[in-house]
Amino acid sequence: MQFRNRRHHERRHSHSNEETISLTSLFEGEKGIITSAFGGYGLVRRLAEMGLTPGVEIRLIRKCPFRGPLQIEIRGCVLALGYGVASKVFVKPSKAEANG
Amino acid sequence: MAKQLRIALAGNANVGKSAIFNQVTGLNQIVGNWPGKTVERAEGTLHFKDHTIRIIDLPGIYSLSTFSMEEIVSRDYIAVEKPDIIINVIDASALERNLYFTLQLLELEAPIIIDLNQVDFAAKKGIKIDAEKLSKTLGVPVNSSVAITGSGINELLSKVIAAIDEKETLKPLKIRYGKEIEKRVQTIEKLVSSKLPQLCTIYPARWIAIKLLERDTDVAGKLKNYENGKEVSDYAEKLAGELEAIHGEPSPVIIASEKYGFATKIAQAVTIIEAPPKISLEQKLDALTTHKISGYPILVAVLASMFVLIFAGGNLMSDGLNYVFGILTTYTETILSLLLPEIAVSLIVNGVLSGIVAGITIALPYIVPFYILLALLEDSGYLPRAAFLMDTAMHKIGLHGKAFIPLILGYGCSVPACIGCRIMETERERFLSAFVVVLIPCAARTVVILGLVGRFVGLPAALALYVFDLILVFLLGRVAFKVLPGEPVGLIMEMPSYKKPSFRNIVLKTWSRTKDFVFIAFPIIIAGSITIEALSLSGLMNYVVEAADPLISGWLGLPSAAGVPLIFGVLRKELTLILLSELIPLRALSDIQMIVFALVTMIYIPCLATVAACVREFGWRKAVAIAVVDIALALFIGGIAYRVLSLAMPA
Repeated sequence: MQFRNRRHHERRHSHSNEETISLTSLFEGEKGIITSAFGGYGLVRRLAEMGLTPGVEIRLIRKCPFRGPLQIEIRGCVLALGYGVASKVFVKPSKAEANG
Repeated sequence: MAKQLRIALAGNANVGKSAIFNQVTGLNQIVGNWPGKTVERAEGTLHFKDHTIRIIDLPGIYSLSTFSMEEIVSRDYIAVEKPDIIINVIDASALERNLYFTLQLLELEAPIIIDLNQVDFAAKKGIKIDAEKLSKTLGVPVNSSVAITGSGINELLSKVIAAIDEKETLKPLKIRYGKEIEKRVQTIEKLVSSKLPQLCTIYPARWIAIKLLERDTDVAGKLKNYENGKEVSDYAEKLAGELEAIHGEPSPVIIASEKYGFATKIAQAVTIIEAPPKISLEQKLDALTTHKISGYPILVAVLASMFVLIFAGGNLMSDGLNYVFGILTTYTETILSLLLPEIAVSLIVNGVLSGIVAGITIALPYIVPFYILLALLEDSGYLPRAAFLMDTAMHKIGLHGKAFIPLILGYGCSVPACIGCRIMETERERFLSAFVVVLIPCAARTVVILGLVGRFVGLPAALALYVFDLILVFLLGRVAFKVLPGEPVGLIMEMPSYKKPSFRNIVLKTWSRTKDFVFIAFPIIIAGSITIEALSLSGLMNYVVEAADPLISGWLGLPSAAGVPLIFGVLRKELTLILLSELIPLRALSDIQMIVFALVTMIYIPCLATVAACVREFGWRKAVAIAVVDIALALFIGGIAYRVLSLAMPA
């Protein structure tokens, strides 16, 4: 089942305000607001239960190279997400300057 | 008046439930700093102010849905067995996420008391929570504690008793969703109460309604057993569809979002940020150990230094103990031979005594340092970091990073490691992880590898065996991944903060594991030793040796006598070395024979206890399949190794 088809942006072409990008394309230390997640019902649901729901702020702490896993901060907790999982989460990068 | 009460500990993973359990029961439930330790619920009894309390420690979960077995088991326990009260343990430093679970407990209309745990750690992060305000907002009693030191535990028990005894004056919060959801929940709720009165005696009607609207398959399945069930669930499905059409999201996500909205609001209202969080030492350590470049050498260094320490410490202790017990044995033998007939002396000295001595001098010196280091690794919070770093590698064998945790535990003992595979999400992944986990040399196999090859051939040879084993695990994992049907699942794991391990906890954990080892292993070692001694005294040994000879000396190039220890090794892996040492002096073996012997012991059939654990987790057929594959593999590789090594390093 697929909700809200979004194109998967592998690379970021612009920093336009309208753009939603995959969580994996955020820079380390950058924040964003989750817009949606797409994928299997089970995965989307699991993500929501771990706090990754639309509208919430997320910060990418760090990512491993070669499609490795990511660490994110959400709702005051640190989670590790596999690359495959993270690539299904879409965010709108926050305009504020990312520090760190 | 004495009253029997039943209470349960529930909450997110790694919030300190087991620590509270240990504090109140005095039992030794394993505590550690990684999510998913408690995979089996533990039960204990305690006495407090005239009350006898049965307490149960539920596995840590993030929600009461149907993502994992643990979630279904926990919610059925709470709803069906209806404990007198549930202690909802909350990590005070992650209130918002924890409250999401609390709200679900409230929806299940379970009687709860909240325990804000790790308040010291939260304070360090600059977070203080207004417990009184939280209690008023949620309408449930709230206690604060630091479970690992025992602070606040007595108060918790007092509040538990007070909550059960005195008719509760607080009124638990009932959350009302936004109009679109609430309207549909109420419609379904009415339908459920009128059409399914029997089910409503177990679960609250409103909860059933919410779960149906969330398309919960387990609840929908329960409805099928009732006459009007299908009608109700079909109707709920229609409403869920409407909701999804409005929001453009799956209904569980819509409902989770709203519920999280409440959690956020409550958390913000009761949290007092005292100091802006500054970068702590723990965070720096975290950055360094999970860094994309520095993380990996650190991981290798941590694991390698563990083995060197175990090896060095083990050798030292082994030599010392050998010397002491060598003298003791000689004296005992001399004294006994004055009192008893020769055959009895032989049975006692070579059977009972040498079994005990071998257990102490060969096995314990390597096992104790290992347990200490494993406890340190567990408590510090390094395991989830290792899992994070290994995610990409584990994907190559169809698993994700979390599987690295049971893998590491496998170096301790295969049994808890097999059960620990439950932290994996699907049946397929659990089996796949267990398949590779049993191939990891456990502490008993480490005894054989380090005590034989490491000691007599040299440390590089022993390390080579470990590396070979890892390559084997990877190759076999890859084959199994390709053969087993099903899709791999991605990693979603909480990363707990680093914590300074508590000395007391390390000692306790090492002691409890060593005690288990002594109580379980020593009787088997002694029984095995007596049997072998009886076999050789009665002359039956020759038949066994002859029967196994073609395989043992023909194919594997080992001394014929080595066959018997290998058979007994099914009981416990270190028994192979212990019995071998009783049959032939270990120094008499050639380097190649030692390596082949250790190699075969490392790979062949996991010991009986592990097979039993596999049977329980996966059923007979899969357990037997694992055992057969491992035996065939061990013999095959052993024979090849004998031939290759003979060519490579002529004696």
